[in-house]
Amino acid sequence: MKNINTKTLPTWCPGCFNFQILAGVKNFLNKQIKNERDRENYAIVTGIGCASKIFDYVNLNGLNGLHGRVVPTCLGIKIGNPNLKVLGFAGDGDAYSEGVEHLVHACRYNSDFKYIVHNNQVFALTVGQPTAVSELGFVDKTTPAGVKINPLNPIKLVLASGATFVARVLADVKQVEWVLEEAAKHRGFAFIEVVQPCIIFHPDSDYKKHVYDLQESGHDKTDWKKAIERALEFDYNKLDDKTRIPMGIFYQKQEETFEEKFPALTRLKRAGKGWRDIKR
Amino acid sequence: MVKSILFGGKAGQGPNILTQLIGEALVKQGYYVFYSRDYQSLIRGGHNFNVISFSRFLINSNESKVDLIVALDEKTREIHKNELKNGGMIISGDGKDKDNMYFAGALYRVLGFDFKLLQEQLKKLRRFDENLKHAKEGFEKEARNIKINTCKLKNHKYFMNGSQGICGGAIKSGLDIYFAYPMTPATPLLFELAPKQEENNFLVLELESEIAVMNAALGASITGAKAMIGTSGGGFDLMTEALSMAGMAEIPIVCYLASRPGPSTGVATYSGQGDLQFARYSGHGEFNRVILAPGDAVECEELTSQAFYFSQKFKVPAIILSDKHLAESFYTSTLIPKITKSEKSTNLGRYNSYEHADSGEASEDAEIIKQGVERREKNKKEIEKEAEKFEMFKIHGNKNSRNVIVSYGSCKGAILDSIKDLDVKFIQVLYIEPFPVKIKSELENAKKLVLVENSATGMLGDVIREKTGVEIKDKILRYDGRAFTSDELKIEIKKKLK
Repeated sequence: MKNINTKTLPTWCPGCFNFQILAGVKNFLNKQIKNERDRENYAIVTGIGCASKIFDYVNLNGLNGLHGRVVPTCLGIKIGNPNLKVLGFAGDGDAYSEGVEHLVHACRYNSDFKYIVHNNQVFALTVGQPTAVSELGFVDKTTPAGVKINPLNPIKLVLASGATFVARVLADVKQVEWVLEEAAKHRGFAFIEVVQPCIIFHPDSDYKKHVYDLQESGHDKTDWKKAIERALEFDYNKLDDKTRIPMGIFYQKQEETFEEKFPALTRLKRAGKGWRDIKR
Repeated sequence: MVKSILFGGKAGQGPNILTQLIGEALVKQGYYVFYSRDYQSLIRGGHNFNVISFSRFLINSNESKVDLIVALDEKTREIHKNELKNGGMIISGDGKDKDNMYFAGALYRVLGFDFKLLQEQLKKLRRFDENLKHAKEGFEKEARNIKINTCKLKNHKYFMNGSQGICGGAIKSGLDIYFAYPMTPATPLLFELAPKQEENNFLVLELESEIAVMNAALGASITGAKAMIGTSGGGFDLMTEALSMAGMAEIPIVCYLASRPGPSTGVATYSGQGDLQFARYSGHGEFNRVILAPGDAVECEELTSQAFYFSQKFKVPAIILSDKHLAESFYTSTLIPKITKSEKSTNLGRYNSYEHADSGEASEDAEIIKQGVERREKNKKEIEKEAEKFEMFKIHGNKNSRNVIVSYGSCKGAILDSIKDLDVKFIQVLYIEPFPVKIKSELENAKKLVLVENSATGMLGDVIREKTGVEIKDKILRYDGRAFTSDELKIEIKKKLK
């Protein structure tokens, strides 16, 4: 089996939920990657923030790129070589604050890469400022009067934008591994949000007490309207006794991918090549 | 003897097709032809005009006066009558709306060309029968004639604009993917590349923003694809964070930067050279780049191939500097562009926008930071050494003259045409980064030293001072969004040489 570890020691805080995500990702990859060739078929893209440190801990080719630009970078890699299996990792600041426009267009393009957003509802690496998904009333040193703007509901956003695979899981090794396997089976853009409380700046707000499993509840993931209804159940604001947070796959539909829409890319895919291999 | 024809009309009346048709006809007769376009940022109506200048000898610019005005509408006559030379002629519909092909026919009569050639030309356009009818009407109705010198048929290889040169250079360099977000005056390159994708097996993609364009291009580039982006100043602003990443992560990328005048949105459809320093300093931090500045369509093709060569060989961003005048003006040439072949250099590995160790992991270690910086500095020296193998500047005019004009880019044409009978040496700078410091001795030997530039400050002068220590005090600057005309420039040059 090919070792996908790097020599770099993680610099996440002790006990950080990112370790759960990393373990889930590695479990998934270890099943997929048997040899060097398998490893070379993968590419990893990250942005900037705590989440993106994962680049240093997973020995895959790719680019630790810019804050907010994970999505276009993944798209570029797929265009450069549609045979690569591309995983993009971003934080909520990286995905929903800076560069959120790319997410809307990624849903339209339906390029065949998987986008994993570690949502801790805070800018953690810059020591705790509110992001676009911090709840009303969230207080930090820069927002002493508390957040006054409603948080974005990313699940609602991506469903409205035409995403073909929409899921949300907790930062739990098993759930992450499971959702990556499901996403890998999906041909097209997969949006995966991982709810990952920040133990320093946005601690666990009892999410576990409020969550329920969409698949166990009998949710029909092929029904877009039902998916929207489920998405509206949780608005990322403060929890009360009645709050129920659906987890699992909200929606999945097989549609033509970005790569399938362009004959030049289809030819590369069929030949198992990238543009690198085109001699002129 | 240079003759000039101005074609004016409303956008939508088809002055461009008409100009192209007559331009090609003149080239077929053996003339050297140059034409420029003047249009506004609107789609229908307004006032557009193109000026063709043609001669038995090489010509690369327009003069301020014209011999013929082709007025597709009445407004053209009003706006341009003062530009008509004494004894000049106006061809119009006499108050009636005429099809643009009516004027093609009339011009064929005035120029004394064989109508059969026009018939051949019309076969390449849509609506042949209708066009032929209008052309015949114009040809029969027009009775006037102007004297033009007949000339021997030249072996013209090209009648193309700068955008077509960039396009040809990119395709011949093995372009795989061109990413862009539309922005004048870089958009004409999109128009050139897009229809040629299938035939040449490359891809043209328009993404949601310039930021997406640049990041996606770099993503494609790390897989080994030859990627290129194109934009104007405002769009390039949005790309500069990723440009800086290309510098840090050492990713090859070719950037086509077609300037427009002014800061901000500026003047969308006019010409200026105000982005020279921006091209040099765009993006934060210290990193390597190559900046090349072609001055005509053939150089566009050649320098584009050199941009691919340097970006691939040294894994750096290479910027091709252009502007509306270069991008949209048509040049005739008997030269075949020299293409520099480039090998694909990049393999998918671990790339990082953070300072990083060789293995790709981010690092804050002092030694690794130092190594990274020094690796890039070493690369810079190697780029400088390699560039010396190329023609980094050209000397035109009287090579022994001590009256020296210095310029770059699209000013080339007007300067060449204005110094034909002057005692002047013209140094055209093609490489902005790395800079040909060798020109220092040329500059120091000059008795008179004049900078010509389409900007308000004369930025090339600042670059020259920075790189060579030589200060150019005499400057001829134009910053009204229009390119220099050769006759007006000649007067300015003569004043400076007194």
